[in-house]
Amino acid sequence: MDKESSQISAGDELATCTAACPVLTDTREYVQRVSRGDYEGALDVLLEVNPFPSVCGRICHHPCESECRRKEIDSAVSLRMLKRFVVENTKEYRASRRKKPAESREGRVAVIGSGPSGLTAALDLALRGYRVTVYEKDSVLGGMLAHAIPRYRLPAEALADDIADILASGVQVRTGCEVGKDITFDDLRKENDAILIAIGLAQSHSLPIPGIDSKGVILGIPFLWDMANGLYPELGDRVLVVGGGNVAIDMARSAKRLGPSKVYLACLEKREEMPAWKWEIEEAEEEGIEILNSWGPKAILEKDGKVSGIEFKRCTSVFDDQRRFSPRYDESETTSVEVDSVILAIGQKADLDFLTKTPVAVDRGRLNCNRASMTTSERGVFACGEVMTGPGSAIQAVATGHEAAKVISHFLETGETLELPQKTLTTIGDLPPATAALAKQFERVEVSLLDPAERIKGFSPIEPGYKESEALAESRRCLACATGACLKPEALCAGCLTCVRVCPFGVARVDRTAVMPARQCQTCGLCAAECPAAGIALSRFATNGMKDALKAILSRSDAANIARPFVVSYCCLNETTSRKYLQGQTEEEIVQSGVLRVMIPCVARLSSIDLLSPFELGADKVAVIACAENGCFYTGAEELLVRRIDRAKKFLDEIGVGRDHVQLFRTDGSAEESWPRIWEELRADEAKTAAPGELVKEGDSR
Amino acid sequence: MIVADPKPFGQVKGYLENFEKILIVGCGTCTTVCLSGGEAETQILASGLRIAFGKEGRSKTVLEACVQRQCDEEFILPILSRVEEEQIDAVVSLACGVGVNFFADRLGKVPIFPGLDTTFYGAGMEPGLWAEMCAGCGDCITAHTGGICPIARCSKHLLNGPCGGSERGKCEVDPVNTDCVWQLIYDRLKTLGKLDELLNLLPAKDWRTASDGGVRRSVREHLYRLK
Repeated sequence: MDKESSQISAGDELATCTAACPVLTDTREYVQRVSRGDYEGALDVLLEVNPFPSVCGRICHHPCESECRRKEIDSAVSLRMLKRFVVENTKEYRASRRKKPAESREGRVAVIGSGPSGLTAALDLALRGYRVTVYEKDSVLGGMLAHAIPRYRLPAEALADDIADILASGVQVRTGCEVGKDITFDDLRKENDAILIAIGLAQSHSLPIPGIDSKGVILGIPFLWDMANGLYPELGDRVLVVGGGNVAIDMARSAKRLGPSKVYLACLEKREEMPAWKWEIEEAEEEGIEILNSWGPKAILEKDGKVSGIEFKRCTSVFDDQRRFSPRYDESETTSVEVDSVILAIGQKADLDFLTKTPVAVDRGRLNCNRASMTTSERGVFACGEVMTGPGSAIQAVATGHEAAKVISHFLETGETLELPQKTLTTIGDLPPATAALAKQFERVEVSLLDPAERIKGFSPIEPGYKESEALAESRRCLACATGACLKPEALCAGCLTCVRVCPFGVARVDRTAVMPARQCQTCGLCAAECPAAGIALSRFATNGMKDALKAILSRSDAANIARPFVVSYCCLNETTSRKYLQGQTEEEIVQSGVLRVMIPCVARLSSIDLLSPFELGADKVAVIACAENGCFYTGAEELLVRRIDRAKKFLDEIGVGRDHVQLFRTDGSAEESWPRIWEELRADEAKTAAPGELVKEGDSR
Repeated sequence: MIVADPKPFGQVKGYLENFEKILIVGCGTCTTVCLSGGEAETQILASGLRIAFGKEGRSKTVLEACVQRQCDEEFILPILSRVEEEQIDAVVSLACGVGVNFFADRLGKVPIFPGLDTTFYGAGMEPGLWAEMCAGCGDCITAHTGGICPIARCSKHLLNGPCGGSERGKCEVDPVNTDCVWQLIYDRLKTLGKLDELLNLLPAKDWRTASDGGVRRSVREHLYRLK
């Protein structure tokens, strides 16, 4: 891949969600940023590896969710919906962060095809400073995204958001320009130093069966193309789609929206063998589509040259022993269905006609190309996307686009081809059942699709996005895998076993020194809070160094002018339902309100010193606002927090500050409603405030 | 392990009234394990002192350090240099008394104060609880008592117990928390099939191996006075 997230380094043990993503999106990081209300930061993480986050937020098949370790506890985090939430709530920021390449380089590249792979490669190359022109035969950019994905799944605006970003990088486009017709391949070669063929699989296969030429037999891709462009064909009252993949489902559901009384989908596969995603099949059935499994088309029945039905023979198996497509039939068992039109969705192929009479080799309808070097038979001509890989997902196409940009860039610089190394990914592995059993269950935030009867009325989007409160709640279900506790290199670990004894998940152990295996650690931070050597940190989880964070905030504020009593409020950020309290405070806000908020994902992470240091820094009172009763993600955390605060109270008595100056509160209802009351109550409390402290330097008592 | 408890905060603060630049030094071994003198407790005491002196409007500098062990010279040399370089006025040790002594021998004119009260050689019984197990008498007799020490664990240090204060297996001195060690010894020897050990009275103990013999030293010839 050309671009890899800066969050991920070679040799990292990846979270399983990240490893499952073809572009290695640092899923955990963007979800954690959402949970902290940093939607812009989340978008940065997404865009670092994926120029199509808006599209993916709608239609990605989300392999990340399939590999989410939370499913061992209850169900996967709804990652696609969180991605969509980020993109939909950062539009202005996204427009403002667009950039042009810093420098321009020698080298011109023509990209043929404007699907996700071609545009990804074009963007990467343009940002490296090369002059890139994309040739698209249609009038709009996006390839299959623009023409083959029904609008109820992918609205045109969602695609437009991603494409606007890409165009802003300086990529040139020539729409309505078909290579081989409007411009010859040879001309392209003369004008460019490299060519990238990214034409996808834009032609439908047909079937060699009797009656196939009847009126009313429609090829799938042209059908979707017409639908996307608002050209609705006459289908009659009964429609049958042949095929069991996602494209077939799209066609059946699109056809249903044109008003026929009956839509069938017939395929060779048994229900459980169907290549379409399970949820797509279920949604289609909800919309009234009848699925006929294990039938192979035998003949199209016609009357007066027009389709009147279709005859099937029983399909007994689809694959041979080597899992190769090799259907077998029982010719004695047949059935027929009366229909007015038949749509064929039995697979796609590339339209390679433009390469005839060029030196670029095509073999039996397939482009000759090398997957590792992205090369074709011709020097300087490369390929990526589905034309190279065969049918795949949008995000897989994006991944090959990055790879193509990498090899082309190498070629332009050195004149050499580049064999991409085989990627070996190490993940932190599955969540062990014993650990999962100790974790609390929290229900996934689901959105309801529109009612099926409403859905089939047209092509409006059928899935509402998350509301902010829903996105925040869902983001907090993320286990933040592989960001867990680790011993600091300088730690004086005495092997005291405290971590072992407080870990709610039975994860920590002492093997000479403390060990918290990343595979199991649930990132609760209790071991770090209790470690007597102050030697445990949470890797990649910015909740350590509370004192430094406080100092940083206070050094910016005019501490002496802060309204008294000055309260430092540690708040459980998991309780917020909006960004109101997640966004940083201005100095003026702190000075006027007399409340400094420190947001923490679970206040049980606060150590004893975190409870004391605000007093050193000039605070009069410390409020610890925990989640609602029994709302904590971590079993046992609440008891440890209560005990730690009791200890702090006793110590505050001993040092003359007074026990009432630190208080534990619970969120009652939402943070937005509950917290202001807490601050008001605490600030109104007339308990004598501490001496007017001032910001102190390390080591100074005042 | 050596167990030590924090001194009352006011007592430690009292030692430091007349010093301006104070260094609190934690110990990364025994007192870390018994949660009284590691890095975390060092931070807490130092913070408490800064807050308390600050409240009195007094300007003092309270610094922090923690070493792996305060009972070996190599580990405390950096602290000795720091005391000199930073012109520290006073040091507080959060090690056991060994650390306090060891520092005191090497600190020249700079005073050292104990932050902890060293209590016993003990074991962690459960999270947050340690109990005495050994008295360091220099002549271990547990071979005859089923491995259980009557000197450390009998309130009266009886060599041939129990006394009349043993009731239902508990010690009259603290019947809630303390087992009668002679009951434990009896039960243990019974389990081992060695009850006959109890027929041999333990002779009066020669306490010269303990503190009565003067300051004790321990020599390993194979490394001692290595050139």
